[in-house]
Amino acid sequence: MAASVWKRCVTAAVKVKRVSPSLSARRWMLSAAYTDTSVWESREKDPQNLAILATSMDKTYTRNLPVSSLTVSRFVDNISAREEVDQAEYYLYKFRHSPNCWYLRDWTIHSWVRQCLKYGAREKALHTIKNKVQYGIFPDDFTFNLLIDAYIEDGDFTSACSVVEEVMLQEAFDLPSTQILSLHALASYRATRPQLAVSGERALGASLLICGLRRDDTAGLGAQLLGNALLGKVEMSKGINAVFKGMPLFWGHGYLDRALAVMERVAAASGDVKLSKDTLDAMSDVLQELSSSSDSDSSGAESAGEGEEEEKKEEDTRDEDDQAEQAKLPQYVSRFKELSSQLESLGKVDSASFQASVAALAQQDLAAAEQPDLEQYLGRLQTWEAENRHLIEREKEMRVKAEQEKLERLAANVAAWQQEAAGVGTRDR
Amino acid sequence: MVKKRPLRLIADMARKVRAYRELKSRPRDSQKYALDYETMKRPLTGKMLPVLAWPDVRKESRLFALLAGMRMFGMGRLFTRKSWLEDHPEPSYWRITKVKVDYTAENMDHGKVWGILTLKGKSEGEVKELDKVMYHDWRLVPKHMEQQMKDFEPLPEPPVRYVLYPPLVRAMLLAQHKKVFGSPVAEEPVLPLKRDVLLNKDYFRKREQENESTEGTPV
Repeated sequence: MAASVWKRCVTAAVKVKRVSPSLSARRWMLSAAYTDTSVWESREKDPQNLAILATSMDKTYTRNLPVSSLTVSRFVDNISAREEVDQAEYYLYKFRHSPNCWYLRDWTIHSWVRQCLKYGAREKALHTIKNKVQYGIFPDDFTFNLLIDAYIEDGDFTSACSVVEEVMLQEAFDLPSTQILSLHALASYRATRPQLAVSGERALGASLLICGLRRDDTAGLGAQLLGNALLGKVEMSKGINAVFKGMPLFWGHGYLDRALAVMERVAAASGDVKLSKDTLDAMSDVLQELSSSSDSDSSGAESAGEGEEEEKKEEDTRDEDDQAEQAKLPQYVSRFKELSSQLESLGKVDSASFQASVAALAQQDLAAAEQPDLEQYLGRLQTWEAENRHLIEREKEMRVKAEQEKLERLAANVAAWQQEAAGVGTRDR
Repeated sequence: MVKKRPLRLIADMARKVRAYRELKSRPRDSQKYALDYETMKRPLTGKMLPVLAWPDVRKESRLFALLAGMRMFGMGRLFTRKSWLEDHPEPSYWRITKVKVDYTAENMDHGKVWGILTLKGKSEGEVKELDKVMYHDWRLVPKHMEQQMKDFEPLPEPPVRYVLYPPLVRAMLLAQHKKVFGSPVAEEPVLPLKRDVLLNKDYFRKREQENESTEGTPV
């Protein structure tokens, strides 16, 4: 409750600071022009009966022939009810497990997410994106922005963070708008102080790190520091292999080392860059937790007799490099103390929280970042429409050619029979 | 003369049908390389994996396990192998150009991949099929580390050293040269200490092909 009250206060404070007219009273991040569906709706439609498409797809699958991406895109475009969203999900799954899986079009994916948002099936969209291996849904940056914004608008920061995690797994933090939106989602999620398991911490740390690496300002460097700290915590408790398996992360040891390197960089940088106080606090919390847990581990190892087997197994899984890392922990603690005092003396510690700095960043840069995105999106719409038309033409040509070939074959068959009949006739005589 | 071989048409047809059926029933990649992680056995053949590979199989992932979750199956991305990271300090990686996935696999976990290899910093420059795709050894190079890997400049190779031939062989070479050309040879025959040719599968296959082509009639 207190968290939601605080959130509302923050957004209210941000609202007061906002002067630009494009942002409305609701907690949207993206402007109305960005999330406007009129451009998407106004493109030329290809009305098809869903039942006919579905039966033709089923027949093609039973005959073991490949289904074209055009059929699937037509199916997704013509969704008009919530139940049809579920049917489309089934056909997307089947398409992914067919020989043509590579050819799933970008506009199909975009239209699938748009339809899900339109018919209130956001969880379905999130589910398909999370199981991207099974459904083959790899949205592009614009689509990711729309989805994250839809969740932020609702205040559902957990799901927004899951979307950001998917963006991280695709390493798709190219557009500044995506970076700002994801940082906002992550910061707000952190502010709700969730109880995270190790996997949750790893995902949060990885998203913060990879998003922060793209930016060089206060928010970005703070995100890098937080990300490295969280990943260092996972590394110390579970070993480096648990950190990078399945994630686009570097396999080298020493994530806490890299976190301290970020602090050094900020201390040595000449510009206006600062680190917010709560990121430094978070780092010190992590270090304290790790040192206290390592102390309790060592004292436990001396006295315990029961858990001996388990501890032996844990030592086997963690090899020498990980143990070398753990030995460096006291060094890290002392270095951190030096660096934080250095930063304070240089005046590079920002008293505003991480979330506030991200919100300030959003207020400044988001509107400017949206403009090129919109133009790119409009250009992409044109290319998609052109490709769609090309595919439809190609399909017509193939059908005409198939018809012609069938007629020729029939004619050849008839000629052969006639010859045979004539031959039989002569033989009989 | 020799008695004419009896024409066995049905047997020939049966042979063709059997060959066709064998071709059709080849196991797919997903069936061939499926693995039971509890017993470390392949369900298709019942064979067990070598013991030294077990920790790797448990910890690391196959290439397609990484590719299945990536846009366009990771085309244009760099992938390293953990064994290369351990063995060679210089970066070695494959850059992927073409992917053919086995769509019957449940998690799109198997298939064939083609790409360009850069071994120890030296790029090969031509597209080859990736071998050992099904090994549990692969790691994705994250985008923020890609530049670091590509920037590596391999040291120039030391110059090739030469050595004299043994004296009898040298005498034979000089005599042969005098017989063919008439005049004594201008410079000393030397043996390079490094073979030009890498003795691998491709080399021997090419040699066999050349031999086959020369064995035909010369006219």
